[in-house]
Amino acid sequence: MANNIAIKGLAAALKGGHVICSVVDYPDLLTNAAYLEKQGFELTYLSADSEARIDLAELKAAIRPDTVLFMTTIVNHVVGTIQPIREIYEILSGVDHKIYFHADAGQAYGKMPLSMKDLGIDTMSISAHKIHGPQGIGALYVRKGTKLGQVIHGVKRVDNLQTGGLSIALIAGFAKAVELTFGDFDKNLAQLRELSDYLYARLKEKISDIELNGAPGMGRAPHNVNISIDYIEGEAITMMLDMHGITVATGSACASQGLKANYVLMAIGKNHVQSHGSMKFTLSRYTTKEDLDFTVDTLAKITEELRSRSPLYNALKNQEK
Amino acid sequence: MQYSQKVLDHFMHPHNVGKMENPDATATEGSPSCGDQVTVFLKVNEESKVIEDISFLSYGCASNIATASIITDLAKGKSLEEAKAITWRDAMDALDGLPPVKVHCSVLAADTLQTAISNYEIAHGLKEVPNFSKETIIEELKKIIYPKVGEDIVSLKMVKYVGFSDGEVLIDLNMLSFDSWRDNVAEEIHEHLEKYPEVKKIQINFP
Repeated sequence: MANNIAIKGLAAALKGGHVICSVVDYPDLLTNAAYLEKQGFELTYLSADSEARIDLAELKAAIRPDTVLFMTTIVNHVVGTIQPIREIYEILSGVDHKIYFHADAGQAYGKMPLSMKDLGIDTMSISAHKIHGPQGIGALYVRKGTKLGQVIHGVKRVDNLQTGGLSIALIAGFAKAVELTFGDFDKNLAQLRELSDYLYARLKEKISDIELNGAPGMGRAPHNVNISIDYIEGEAITMMLDMHGITVATGSACASQGLKANYVLMAIGKNHVQSHGSMKFTLSRYTTKEDLDFTVDTLAKITEELRSRSPLYNALKNQEK
Repeated sequence: MQYSQKVLDHFMHPHNVGKMENPDATATEGSPSCGDQVTVFLKVNEESKVIEDISFLSYGCASNIATASIITDLAKGKSLEEAKAITWRDAMDALDGLPPVKVHCSVLAADTLQTAISNYEIAHGLKEVPNFSKETIIEELKKIIYPKVGEDIVSLKMVKYVGFSDGEVLIDLNMLSFDSWRDNVAEEIHEHLEKYPEVKKIQINFP
């Protein structure tokens, strides 16, 4: 909702022009971009490198005299790569006309420091349930002086951006989640980073033929580990993990309603097999080392079992003989 | 994905899984790039022509593994003639149904079994290598499932015209431009027909 209010609101105020986003953005941004195109805006979709990072030179080259809006997903929702927000802002602010900057912070808020003063973002969306708040509520940051056209009509609430009764229970829940997230922020971040590094190291140690998707090290958000496991398929893996009480996400076409491989993985140069065997682990401040050990041990057994059933793995073993 | 208990049972504990040493016939269908591949191994009694042993390997999702498992159950102990009558519908029924987007898995499993049987018959001089014709194309189209409803595109009367001359296949499909499954069905058609060396070019027309 916050993305919709911001993007459609900016579009309504701007009335037309050129908009830039990227092929690896969150679906909210991409579907809104498609909507803007229908409304007469011109769109440029930047490509992403093999780690899902946009290219700053490509951004510079894409800016036109009529560019009015740039949108990005701060932390990629699939592979966890952090976009160079500060550098993007420097480029946008160096242009001789105003380019609005909208950011989706669904995966970034509470997972990295976000100084609104330094980052120069005009509008930013936040989701409560990503920080253990209730589902069904989010927040929209709007920089002072940013004009958003009205996109939802009805009884005016919250600066004309919302209508209908506000849910006090959801707001209270969200507020508590924010309080808890930032109560021990630095310590939580350090712990998340340590745990995700530990998870990836243990995965590498226990399972052969896996690879990291997205940026390594500090280039990725501390709560996201996305890997591809060769020779087996993601839906089968996630279902078996689920039987053991472990929930992960996969980019496999077989697990999607549209039978399509994950668009982010395909856009960063992964092939169908790598996308089929991909899985995303999401950690939180409640994740423990024991949880991760259990996850890795279970996944190692599942991988062994599914590989024993896989003609691709059997063919490989035959070659080795 | 909403699977029946039978699908889950066969996925978690598949029957007849594993590579067979010295099989009498094998077949592999599907491709890793399409996300699923099944190999079937057969051991056939030369006298009685009964499938005495059968096993499979599967690279694919839960329903891919479950449908391959059930197809081996259905074929084991049957004569080749009996096994030739096993269809993807039998596999799906035996699993208490599949979600519409997963019906194509049962087609792949049944298809691989039929190809293995055919390979056995050709190798043992029981039949000739069939000639490629328009009928071959139509038989292949009957194996392509419209994922929205889980029925094949021929039964659904989505195939309006099939032509074949000089290696060129021409297919008119009744799928509207806003149908989100158009690319998926077209990809499946290519996958099914490109394995025939007789097919040099495939042209699919939509309204």
